[in-house]
Amino acid sequence: MNRLLLAMASAAIAVLANGVAGAEPAVPSFVEETASDGISTVYSGEWEFMVGGGAAAFDCSGDGFPDLFLAGGASHAGFYRNISRQGGELRFEKQASGLELEAVTGAYALDIDSDGIKDLVLLRVGENVVMRGRGNCRFERANEMWGFDGGDAWSTALAATWEDGADFPAIAVGNYIDRREEGFPWGSCTDNWLHRAEGARFAAPMPLKPSHCALSMLFTDWNRSGTPSLRVSNDREYYKGGQEQLWRIEAGAEPYLYSAADGWERLRIWGMGIAGYDLNFDGYQEYFLTSMADNKLQTLTKPTPGTSPGPAYTDAAFAKGVTAHRPYAGENVKPSTAWHAQFEDMNNDGLADLFIAKGNVAAMPDFAMEDPNNLLLQKTDGSFAEAGDRAGIGSTAISRGAVIADFNLDGMLDLAVVNRWVEAQLWRNTGLDNANWIQIRPLQPRRNRDAIGGWIEVKRGDVVMRREITVGGGHAGGHLGWWHFGLGGQTEAQTRIVWPDGEAGAWEELRAGHFYTIERGRGAARWQPG
Amino acid sequence: MAGIIVRIAFRAAACRLILAIATVTAALAAPAQSAEPRNLEVLGTWYRLALELVRHTPTYSPPVASRAFAYLGVTAYETVASGRDGFATLAGQLNGLTPPPVREPGRDYDDAMALQASVSLLMESLFANTGPTGQRAIDAIARKLDAVARAGVDPDIADRSTAYGQALGEHMLAWAAQDGGAVVENMGFPFRYELKPGPEHWVPTSTIGQQQVPLLPDWGRNRTFAMPDGATCGLPPPPAYSEEPGSSFFIEAREVYDVSLSLTEDQEAIARFWSDDPMLTPTPPGHWLAIALQVLGEKEATLEMRVDTLARIGIGLADAFIGCWHDKYKYDLVRPLTYIRRVIDPAWQAILITPPFPEYPSGHSTQSGAAAEVLTNLFGADYAFEDRTHDDDGLPARKFDSFWHAAEEAGISRLYGGIHYRAAIELGLDQGKCIAAHTNALVTRARP
Repeated sequence: MNRLLLAMASAAIAVLANGVAGAEPAVPSFVEETASDGISTVYSGEWEFMVGGGAAAFDCSGDGFPDLFLAGGASHAGFYRNISRQGGELRFEKQASGLELEAVTGAYALDIDSDGIKDLVLLRVGENVVMRGRGNCRFERANEMWGFDGGDAWSTALAATWEDGADFPAIAVGNYIDRREEGFPWGSCTDNWLHRAEGARFAAPMPLKPSHCALSMLFTDWNRSGTPSLRVSNDREYYKGGQEQLWRIEAGAEPYLYSAADGWERLRIWGMGIAGYDLNFDGYQEYFLTSMADNKLQTLTKPTPGTSPGPAYTDAAFAKGVTAHRPYAGENVKPSTAWHAQFEDMNNDGLADLFIAKGNVAAMPDFAMEDPNNLLLQKTDGSFAEAGDRAGIGSTAISRGAVIADFNLDGMLDLAVVNRWVEAQLWRNTGLDNANWIQIRPLQPRRNRDAIGGWIEVKRGDVVMRREITVGGGHAGGHLGWWHFGLGGQTEAQTRIVWPDGEAGAWEELRAGHFYTIERGRGAARWQPG
Repeated sequence: MAGIIVRIAFRAAACRLILAIATVTAALAAPAQSAEPRNLEVLGTWYRLALELVRHTPTYSPPVASRAFAYLGVTAYETVASGRDGFATLAGQLNGLTPPPVREPGRDYDDAMALQASVSLLMESLFANTGPTGQRAIDAIARKLDAVARAGVDPDIADRSTAYGQALGEHMLAWAAQDGGAVVENMGFPFRYELKPGPEHWVPTSTIGQQQVPLLPDWGRNRTFAMPDGATCGLPPPPAYSEEPGSSFFIEAREVYDVSLSLTEDQEAIARFWSDDPMLTPTPPGHWLAIALQVLGEKEATLEMRVDTLARIGIGLADAFIGCWHDKYKYDLVRPLTYIRRVIDPAWQAILITPPFPEYPSGHSTQSGAAAEVLTNLFGADYAFEDRTHDDDGLPARKFDSFWHAAEEAGISRLYGGIHYRAAIELGLDQGKCIAAHTNALVTRARP
């Protein structure tokens, strides 16, 4: 079977090399290793945990392998140290880390104090908690030390950026409805918060009014102004008078909410997740927004030459084949429910693919109960083809958060998915031997070590592939570590970093099939495990 | 429409007999204790929740919402009428409704407890598909209202009233199960549907995957409530399709296009006020139900007046959607968005989201015409009111001189919004008026 897949893959890659538009993409092959991976966390709980269920992948042990944190809902969260070997099966070991709190809905890793050790922000039903990394995957509560007011809300989204000159990040937290409202909770969306830096600690959180029950947030430089704005995807189930939001957040200024007067078009969806990627190589991000029954792929309306773009988007989901509105296998009448979304090149052909975690809210009879996760592989004409079942990742568990990362550092991206009421699942990508890749980790010397807000650019043929370095988006979790690019048949790639302040590094010729750290001012250095 | 008057006269005669029987029955029963505040809290709170759940239950497109309002209204009415002198049952007047359970003669009942039992049962059933938050809300409201209704009531009376309300509610649910609208799958979008060929016919107007087929194509075949069937108030065909400048069809489409280019602030406000999008508002029938509730509140109406009004507005709205849908799929007309982009301006945008079903007649117009006619019959032709339905969503209230003033504005809002031609609006209002005549002919209680 694998030989057949490999043969198909080879053929597909050959087709890609010939540049035939719309050619069927090579389907990667995944092996589910849930039974032997050492992971036992279940996202449990009832109504207050119907959303959330995030996963965070980040390296806290210093060995380069992404470790894994999983929200546990009403149960304790779980931390798992990655003990996989390069190219081997995926193996994790549960380890007491200090992160094992209850009522955790999601988590994002970032290096808050720029000490070179990843910290973690835990989103919770109740008080949010920042956990300072002490090294060797041990963490301690740092709310008091860093002046972080964790509040008391139903927190469901996070995005982080470094404002100009700041020592600490600005962290936006998205909050859901007032959980104490029983009979009439609709319209009770509680305020989102912006925790800005105040020296080497956080200022009191600033409410972002109006708030509309955020389930995903992303700081992203949508117009390439050099300053990321805050995209907020909101759940229309609960807001009144709400819509999707875009905030301009500039250092020292009050947040500004884009409106129709600026060209921002009202969009009202059951917003649950955001994934961004420059799919068409024009320098601007496309945004995939998950929802119920109908998902959106937004592409920026092109500005007239010489003018700045306005925040106007067209929906390309239908044209590109990524509406993913109903299950592609099994029961197929009722609509789907989509949560985490992430663009990554899963078959290393140089084109970003789209993973979507699916699952009923609970047992809503109007929506599919058997709702397989999607893997939509991008074709050379920019459209996508469903391959979740053929790739072997089409789980019909009730999924929520997920994270795609190269857990065994073999160049092929693996997948972890958090499920409601059953154990999280893990798949190893056994993929495509002859498709090349490169993985990059940018490093800054002092503040904002991981260069959040910068861009990585990699040339492939006539195009420049770009990835924005972000913390946020998805559904209640994401990854921070190696940034992966597929290269297809290309054996070398010119690469550079555009640092968060806009300064572009030099183009460097890097060999495919390797990991590189690119330290600001010092250039690329090949890295290998051990 | 020719047979309407004859049928109404026959039905009125039949109802006089029923009224007499009901009066005797009610006279035998001892009246429940006076408990107006409890009654009104039970009724009002469930209706408030119904308007929320219509908005937050994905199955609830406007036709489905109107059906729920009809069954809720009839159930509330029958619960109260069964304990009142001078009130007739709607059994025998509404299609398929057989006589509901009656109260035991000589025994005391409490209306609040009976209403709590019957209406909560309907709510749980009609909104069984709502999500976990809706289920949690139904449970919470049921607990709260049970305590409210039970306060100070003799336990025997409370239990008897509850049992009666449950029996009545089950009777209503059994009736509802057979109307053709009880099961709605895939939010009302059929899994298979063949579009009719020809430029005059509806084609999808959005890029939403689910909406590549039209909503509820068989809804017009559902059992109606007060009128004989979906074809009862059938409309003449719309203007013949043509792409020729100067043709009636082109002129109507051109009007939609021209208005959109010179839309005033007030016209846009009108379009948005009556937009009433499913999942984002209580839907168009919910809007008119909200108006009825506002009027009942302003008038500090009695429980009897409230249940009579709620039954009638629900029935009128539900029949309006069945009649309208019958003609929508009979004529299957192309939407302005499609025609204007094809013939006049390929880049044209309507300011409202074009609904995913055929154009003629306008659903909002038909049901607004029906609602206005029903409310006019109850409260008069010159009843001025302020419509605060969308206060929570930040849309300012609008003032109207009469219910028909509001209905006409609702109708023309669809032209301002770019989703309907004038014929669909004007004839839709007429259709609603015709449909409401059947509702208004229902006999519920003796009036001075």
